[in-house]
Amino acid sequence: MGSLDSYLPIFVLFVLALAFAGLSIVASKLLAPQRPTSAKEAPYECGIVPANEPPQRFPVRFYLVAMIFVIFDIEVIFLFPWAVVYDQLGRFGLVEVIVFAAAAFFSLLYLVANGALDWGPVRRVRPVSSLQSRTTASTVRRVGTGSGEAA
Amino acid sequence: MTGSTAILASMAAHLLAAGGIAMPRIDYTAILPELILLGGMLVLVLVSSLSPRPLPTEAYATATVGIGIASLVASLVLWRDVSDHGPFTAVARAVNVDGFGVLFLVLVSCILVVAPLLAAGHLRREGVGGCEYYVLALISGSGAMFMATANDLVLIFLALEILSIPLYILAGFDHLRESSGEAAMKYFVLGAFSSAIFVYGIALTYGATGSTNLAQIAAFLARNVVTSDGVLLGGLALLLVGFAFKVAAVPFHMWTPDVYQGSPTPATGFMASMAKAGGFAALLRVFVTTFPTLRGTWQPAIWVIAVLTLVLGAVVALVQSDVKRMLAYSSINHAGFVLLGLQAATARGVAGSVFYLFTYSFLVLGSFAVVSAVGGKGDERHGLERYRGLGRRQPALAVTFAVLLLAQAGAPFTTGFFAKFYVVEAAVSAHSYALAAVAMGTAAVAAFFYLRLVFLMFSDVGRTIPTHEGAATGGTPTDTLEMPSAGGVATLVAAPVAALVEVAEPDPAIVAVSPWVAAGLVLCVATTLVFGVWPQPLVDFAHQATLII
Amino acid sequence: MTASAFGPILTAGITGGQQAFPFLTALVLVPAGAAVLVMLLPRSATWAIRAAGMAATLAVLGIAAAVLDQFQAGFGGYQMVSEHPWIAPLGISWTLGVDGISLFLVLMSAVLFPVALAGATARENPKSFTAWVLFLEAACLGSFLSIDVLLFFLFFEATLVPVYFLIAGWGHERRGYAATKFFLYTFAASAFMLVGIVSLVFIHQGQTGVTTFDIRELASTHLSGTADIVLFLSFTAAFAVKAPVFPFHTWSPDAYGESPAAGSVLLAGVMAKLGTYGIIRFDLGLFPHAVVVLAPLLLTLGVVGIIYGGIVAAVQHDLKRLVAYSSLAHLGFIVVGLFALTGESLSGAVLQMVNHGIYTAALFLLIAMIYRRRGTFAIPKLKGLQSSAPVLAAVFTVVMLASIGVPGLNGFVGEFLILSGTFLTHRWWAVAATGGVVVAAAYFLWAYQRVFHGKAEPVTGEAPFAEMTWREALVLAPLVVLIVALGVYPQPVLERITPSVDALVLHVEQAAHPRIPLAGQPVSGTLAARTSTAYSSSVTLQLGTGGERVPATRATGRETKGART
Repeated sequence: MGSLDSYLPIFVLFVLALAFAGLSIVASKLLAPQRPTSAKEAPYECGIVPANEPPQRFPVRFYLVAMIFVIFDIEVIFLFPWAVVYDQLGRFGLVEVIVFAAAAFFSLLYLVANGALDWGPVRRVRPVSSLQSRTTASTVRRVGTGSGEAA
Repeated sequence: MTGSTAILASMAAHLLAAGGIAMPRIDYTAILPELILLGGMLVLVLVSSLSPRPLPTEAYATATVGIGIASLVASLVLWRDVSDHGPFTAVARAVNVDGFGVLFLVLVSCILVVAPLLAAGHLRREGVGGCEYYVLALISGSGAMFMATANDLVLIFLALEILSIPLYILAGFDHLRESSGEAAMKYFVLGAFSSAIFVYGIALTYGATGSTNLAQIAAFLARNVVTSDGVLLGGLALLLVGFAFKVAAVPFHMWTPDVYQGSPTPATGFMASMAKAGGFAALLRVFVTTFPTLRGTWQPAIWVIAVLTLVLGAVVALVQSDVKRMLAYSSINHAGFVLLGLQAATARGVAGSVFYLFTYSFLVLGSFAVVSAVGGKGDERHGLERYRGLGRRQPALAVTFAVLLLAQAGAPFTTGFFAKFYVVEAAVSAHSYALAAVAMGTAAVAAFFYLRLVFLMFSDVGRTIPTHEGAATGGTPTDTLEMPSAGGVATLVAAPVAALVEVAEPDPAIVAVSPWVAAGLVLCVATTLVFGVWPQPLVDFAHQATLII
Repeated sequence: MTASAFGPILTAGITGGQQAFPFLTALVLVPAGAAVLVMLLPRSATWAIRAAGMAATLAVLGIAAAVLDQFQAGFGGYQMVSEHPWIAPLGISWTLGVDGISLFLVLMSAVLFPVALAGATARENPKSFTAWVLFLEAACLGSFLSIDVLLFFLFFEATLVPVYFLIAGWGHERRGYAATKFFLYTFAASAFMLVGIVSLVFIHQGQTGVTTFDIRELASTHLSGTADIVLFLSFTAAFAVKAPVFPFHTWSPDAYGESPAAGSVLLAGVMAKLGTYGIIRFDLGLFPHAVVVLAPLLLTLGVVGIIYGGIVAAVQHDLKRLVAYSSLAHLGFIVVGLFALTGESLSGAVLQMVNHGIYTAALFLLIAMIYRRRGTFAIPKLKGLQSSAPVLAAVFTVVMLASIGVPGLNGFVGEFLILSGTFLTHRWWAVAATGGVVVAAAYFLWAYQRVFHGKAEPVTGEAPFAEMTWREALVLAPLVVLIVALGVYPQPVLERITPSVDALVLHVEQAAHPRIPLAGQPVSGTLAARTSTAYSSSVTLQLGTGGERVPATRATGRETKGART
């Protein structure tokens, strides 16, 4: 059990954090005066009264960028230990990391080419297919999938 | 990218295990087929990114076939090396180059030669061009190759992920179809879950034996008797669950019908062949070479799983009205047959399983390619009724499908028969008579739904059939002895390519078959029939599937 | 069966070895090659397709005649053996051979195929039809000729595919149901046979270290009591369904009734014999002990089949189904002959297989002629055909009488041998089976009376029932000639069948006799004394010396059998 002793401070901190959060909630419930009014219960208690619901959706590109970020973030995490032992790995390590970086770079190229980093109005860099002909059926299908939530 | 990560990561694992940085010698020739696939994949990505105009899907298909052939050649060179100089391990003993592994390298290469041909037509028709299908297939293939040659549980896990993740994407590849997205989500969630179980199995096994290296685990188990073996058996069980999920063995098959049905059809065919090849390769290696000492423990478990898989696959397929779903259950039944070889746990059993996977891969690729063609634009019309009268509309396509289906049923003079024969022989030689009998019983059940499809294709629509009573009034004698026959079985085997391509008739039910798909189908059917009559080379080949321990 | 198993009689037969011309291989490859050729012909070349089909089947008949010519009468073993390694690692080889049992089945098939093509070819899509028939011929001949058990199984299974397509493509209105039922019944039954084959080979391998599927080697396998019975059942299930034997017959009236004329001819004439041939070749050859133990059961099933088939045939309103049920009864006779296990009854059974093939084929062809003229198989709708078509009626009478078993026609010889052979060992079964002959006479004559006698009542606007055409007569002529010839002078056939049958009886009795003494007598003496040719005397001699049941010369190769008790 000796090895677990060093984790004791973390455990204590964890308990303290939980206790503080719990205490705060309980204390405010007990101590604060409760006098609700309709103005107080509105989503925005001050400023202009909202005319319609706040938008629920925001561009899917945020997710995309987040994922791209995660990929390159992991690459950096991978490079860090490599840099630490660079001397011991020698030329082999250099070659391998260049291959690795090249692979990552190619994927970045692919992302750019496919418009993953384009912002602003949607501009289709490459058509889905040069061969796809537009028919009523295809339009209906695309509209159907595109506006799933609206319908 | 992921492939390089795998190599480095497995290397890193060894560095850590060694306690210091001891540089392993990387034998690049030992992993050349995998490197060819990954290098080719990078080239495809680069070309597609830099080309000013989008390239047609056929260009990528051709390139992928080229890459597949290159890796096939590299695999055959390795095979020759192994048969001349014996098996060896490479890259800090993480990679096993033995007859068994090399056979799977050849199999994966073959799949990668055939699959792009069969997919090209579908991708063009559905308007989902681009390099993605091919790139994902290549990555997945490299994962399957690493799985087959891996000699370390950690590498097997990484390979499993490299194999699976592209398959998840392929399942959801057709972004215009909602069912495709659903399939991808199901496959991904359940797949991730099974991967987690698998990792836990690795951890427990490591805890019990002190190594993740298959050879070291086997050596440890051979030297020591594990008295309290709860941890080890738990690890074994979790590993089995992880593998069983990948190869769709009952009761871990739940995802299969939905995913097979929802995925774009060429992706389904690829998934069925590649995931089974990779999954069974590692499953066979781990259980037969690493845990032979525990055979008494896991053989009964495999026995039960095999029986469930065989029976459920065959019986549930009977009531399916969607062809893709039916083939999904039939693939579960086939997985049961491959398990016969594992249950035998002998060299003969392993050879039988390898033979089965070899033949099955071509059958399933070809079958799903036909389904894709018949499904028509939108890839949605897969009901059984769609196949009624196909034999009259498009005889060559129908005959192709009939051959593939009959081979799956195990008709004689096709590879399907010898595959079943081989695994049943293995089971019998391991005294699993009951299992062999159950397997053949399910083969008979399975024959029913294959035949139903064959009959639908060759029965005619709207043709008036003289009834025994009804035709009485028209009974005028003629000068021949002929019966008023039903006719309608169309051309037996036409000159295949030419006939497949001709689609000029105005019948709306006629579906277009691109020459690429036709070429791929000819390859599948030729393999099925040629090796069905002359199986000697394939049998010899499977006999090389020796595992080093 | 090895020389040691069957003694010097058989050794001589095998000496033929490799022939200068591989007749047997040609018998299989000619129709298969012709089928491929037909497939390559353009669809519109109807004449060329039919000519190719006829030429190929006649060529096969020619080769079969050459085989008959080369066949050395008086030897019981396999002759003209053609042996080539095929899948060496698995011990599977392309081994074909012919003996007295298979010789006439091959000849009968070679006769029936051109007859079926000439007499009942399909008008629609003749290309596929001809190709399937040729494939079927290759598979059937392959089954009869295979000495390698797995090769037999392959051909045996391969027959299903052409028949399935023939029924499904050219059958009557319930063809899909009938075709699928046929395929599934037979496929399911033979699935277990594959496990049985593999188990047997594995047991044999364990004893000798040799992996082989050669029936001559496998016959010497020593089997424990249970294994013997289980393997026997796994084989018999396949054969009993194929034949069909009584409780497994339910597919056959549908398949016979719904298939096109050529399909019925070939199903009843040739395919049914695959089942009974399988019983005699594999059950008796490989599991003699189990055969003796279970013979009463199979005999009972055979007898039940005879009576049941006869009674059900009597109440049929459909001519085709009537013949289908009569086939069930006739196959019951054959099964009784096989499991009575005397030389006489076995010879009779083999001969009856040939006979039944010929007259059933003729019956189905005649019914097809009626159907072509009247468009119906329904007996109540047919009446008084005799007045306008006397020749057709006369031919029908001859064939029908052969089927009933009237002396002077071929059906009599087989049934008589079966019944007299059976009577010696299984008296009551023989008595019951004889009742079946009476039933057969009843239902056939009654049906004949209803269809051919009386006054024709033509439907308004219907042409009068036409007489047999020259072409139809030409097709039926060889069958009628055979019916009469085999009825009058069966001796040349019997003297070729008997040596093989005697050897088989000896084999069975050697395996069985330590356990099953019949009626207090030494089985060997009883059975051998009843074999009817010159060879029986040599058998008796060898067996009879010094009261030894198993002579020393035979015992050398058979220690394992002796250890069975």
